[in-house]
Amino acid sequence: MSDLDDFKATYFDECSELLTELEEQFAAIEAGERDADRLNAVFRAIHSIKGGAGAFGFSALVGFAHAYETLLDYVRDGRIELSDDVVVLCIRANDIVADHVKAAQTGDALPAEYGLDEKARFDALARGDSIGDDDDSGGEPMDEFDIDFTPVMVRLDAAEDQSEELPDTFEMPPMQAEAGHWEIRFTPYRALYARANDPLLLFRELAALGEMHVRAILGEVPPLSDFEPFAVYCSWEITLVSATLTEAAIREVFEFVDGDCDISIVQVGSQGTASAAIIAPPAFVDAELARLRSQEQNLMALADDEMGELLSFTPEPAPAAPTIQDNFEAAPALSFAELAETIQPKAAPQTAAKANPPKPTLVPAAPADGEESHGRSVGVQSIRVDLDKVDRVVNMVGELVITQSMLTQQMDETLRARYTELVRGLEVLAQTTRGLQDSVMAIRAQPVKSVFSRMPRLVRELANKTGKRIKLETIGENTEIDKTVIEQLSDPLTHMIRNSADHGIETPEKRSAMGKPEIGTVRLSAEQAGGNILIVVEDDGAGINRERVLQLARDKGIVAPDANLSDEQIDQLIFAPGFSTAEALSDISGRGVGMDVVLSNIKKIGGSVHVRSWTGKGTRMTLRLPLTLAVLDVMLVKVGESPYVVPLSSIVETIQCSRASFERVPSGERVLQVRGEYVQVIDLAQRFNMAGGSAHDDRFVVLCEAEGSHKVALIVDDIIGQQQVVIKSLEENFERVDGIAGGTILGDGNVALIVDVQGLKTAIVHKNAA
Amino acid sequence: MEALGLRDDMGDKSALAAHNSLQLIAFSIGEQTYGVEITTVREIRAWNGATPLPNTREFVRGVINLRGTIVPIFDLRARFGDGQTTPTKNHVVVVMSVGDKWVGILVDAVSDILTVSRDDIHNVPEGNSIDTELLNGIVTHDSRMVGLIDLHAVVSGAKVDA
Repeated sequence: MSDLDDFKATYFDECSELLTELEEQFAAIEAGERDADRLNAVFRAIHSIKGGAGAFGFSALVGFAHAYETLLDYVRDGRIELSDDVVVLCIRANDIVADHVKAAQTGDALPAEYGLDEKARFDALARGDSIGDDDDSGGEPMDEFDIDFTPVMVRLDAAEDQSEELPDTFEMPPMQAEAGHWEIRFTPYRALYARANDPLLLFRELAALGEMHVRAILGEVPPLSDFEPFAVYCSWEITLVSATLTEAAIREVFEFVDGDCDISIVQVGSQGTASAAIIAPPAFVDAELARLRSQEQNLMALADDEMGELLSFTPEPAPAAPTIQDNFEAAPALSFAELAETIQPKAAPQTAAKANPPKPTLVPAAPADGEESHGRSVGVQSIRVDLDKVDRVVNMVGELVITQSMLTQQMDETLRARYTELVRGLEVLAQTTRGLQDSVMAIRAQPVKSVFSRMPRLVRELANKTGKRIKLETIGENTEIDKTVIEQLSDPLTHMIRNSADHGIETPEKRSAMGKPEIGTVRLSAEQAGGNILIVVEDDGAGINRERVLQLARDKGIVAPDANLSDEQIDQLIFAPGFSTAEALSDISGRGVGMDVVLSNIKKIGGSVHVRSWTGKGTRMTLRLPLTLAVLDVMLVKVGESPYVVPLSSIVETIQCSRASFERVPSGERVLQVRGEYVQVIDLAQRFNMAGGSAHDDRFVVLCEAEGSHKVALIVDDIIGQQQVVIKSLEENFERVDGIAGGTILGDGNVALIVDVQGLKTAIVHKNAA
Repeated sequence: MEALGLRDDMGDKSALAAHNSLQLIAFSIGEQTYGVEITTVREIRAWNGATPLPNTREFVRGVINLRGTIVPIFDLRARFGDGQTTPTKNHVVVVMSVGDKWVGILVDAVSDILTVSRDDIHNVPEGNSIDTELLNGIVTHDSRMVGLIDLHAVVSGAKVDA
């Protein structure tokens, strides 16, 4: 069933989003924002995960999520205080949910006892707080929710007959007409669900108003073959009895779904008799409705075994059951009404005890929930698109941009003078393609939030393990970057933050001895700077111990013993492969792979890393990342007879050689003096072993900025122009070439190579150091 | 850039191809004939220049654009240590797949499609290290010696040693 696979894929997509949201919410909750909105968001997320899991039959996930949800529910209505311990437990629970989701996705089975400890703690918490507090929750609160819903077949399309046919199945308390007897008919529209409202919450609130009986009206449910998953077929009739109830109070409950449903509220006179097919005590109304609703939404996806269970439990009408089961595959036109289930509480004696309405503690929270989801959902209008489809568009737009720039290159002066309309058309084309390109890139762009949101807990864990006190500040988390870049960002950022927390921030004692605040700060920020995104990880720790770094680098043979390195060069050594300064190898960092990985990952996506450190004051690591990976603005130059391109983002300026002032340093190396600065010179023709004209004056200097405002002057033979190119990999069919970041195809079909400015510079440093 | 018509004279020969036989594309470098298994060949095109790659050995002639992907070109003559080919429009690039990579090999001309029996493949005589390194075996066809190229060996060691 490939449709089911599609649904599953969508479900897992949603899960990853929801899990991210959980992280965000808990980061805020941990920071002290313990308001109802946060909790409701958490509750919603877990509930959605559970709902989908139930539909696909991931029973382990459902079980755990259910227990977790119950705990959250108790926290939400105030029965359990949201203490730090509970928050920690919840965060651990998020991990377990994530693991369960992953296991369900990959099909691996988790150990059966996985998460049981936490589940037991949920139970303990729920039990401990609720004893003597609420009659309805009794001594076994988890049981209340873990009740086995025994499905019972009823013919709801003939509800009146049924009440006669099945007199024993349901407890039918006599409905006395009295003052304050209200009948409410509630018919939600699709929009109500679309705005993430939940009838269950409404019913819970109603239940708090008085004694309530609910009947689901399933007469409109079509045959299975016509069943539309997102359509709304279910409405409810509610009977509410309370001596003091007013219409206004009922209206208030429905205030937030006003306009998204039909509500009629009638005060019933002496003839008000409930024709309820389903009567359940209020404590079960919630569960029953949730069950019905998820049935309605997920019927299509019902697992076979669940269906079997459903059918085998059919007491009445007995003869129908085998037929349904036998014909289920063959008869898709089976009426949904026939499949609908009701709920029979497992332990009937307990029912009476739980019949008291729950204390209305959840009332303040619920309207806030409705309000938030109402307000939030209005702005969100999005569709899910397969990333491959977007990439195809991105690639085609890339080729279009190149063709356009090729066309523009073909225009010479004579053509320009002759075909003014053509020139104008080309200009418009250039603008439009640029706009198209920006729009397409914007589709791929995502806020860095998705990566940043994983960091607070990392810092928290690190703080716990190292016994340090660390505060994480994040700035600019709505900055958007290309999705591919974001995916590559997680590992480097993790390593950098680990490094800051483990090596940078000192222990509280040390900090207070130095007159710093005991709590160390790690600041993570993102901002756009021109065609780049800058991501900065800053800490107010000890800074890099340069002496030790240099000593270690010498010991490990990373630099020559007599090499004379500047402070910045020493700082940069922490990115060298095989380098680690931690004296005691911790399990956090210090295996000497971390920072090396940072550099290689970042380089792979065309970015650069720069580190600056102030002894005793802190360290700042800056990642410079390209906004997009697909198209690069470049300057086309000639080295020897071959075309090369230099990324425009790294070029500071170009100078004619005849106007540049070169000097020689004692070693004989040439340096360029520009505005009082001396800059290393790399003659590309020499560097690439090409026969280039050495007649200096015709050549050009391209002054580039490498990592961290380090400048380098490239000498090229000619400057041809500026254009946009699509980056192609050399490694796809060949291997990495030093000093070359990749290739690209020019308008004339020839290949031009992309100069790796940073790579050239690093190669020189290593040569000097070796 | 025209692809050479290869399939014209294949009809009767392919009928001979039993499962023990091997079809080769034969090409020449100077007086020598070499062959590669026909199934590895993706495309044959006329030499049309290549963008040189810096910091590579002399037998790497550079890279070309093959319908949007970048493919490296190896100069087989230079690979055998006989100096770089001075290519003209008559020289030919044989594009082949080696593992999951596509590479081009610059040769003087493509001469024939040969069907040989696997039993007729001889080991390369010990002696010249370049021959033993780059050839998988030798077959005789029409009293000509054909060296079977080991593509993996040809494309390895392309970078200048640091």
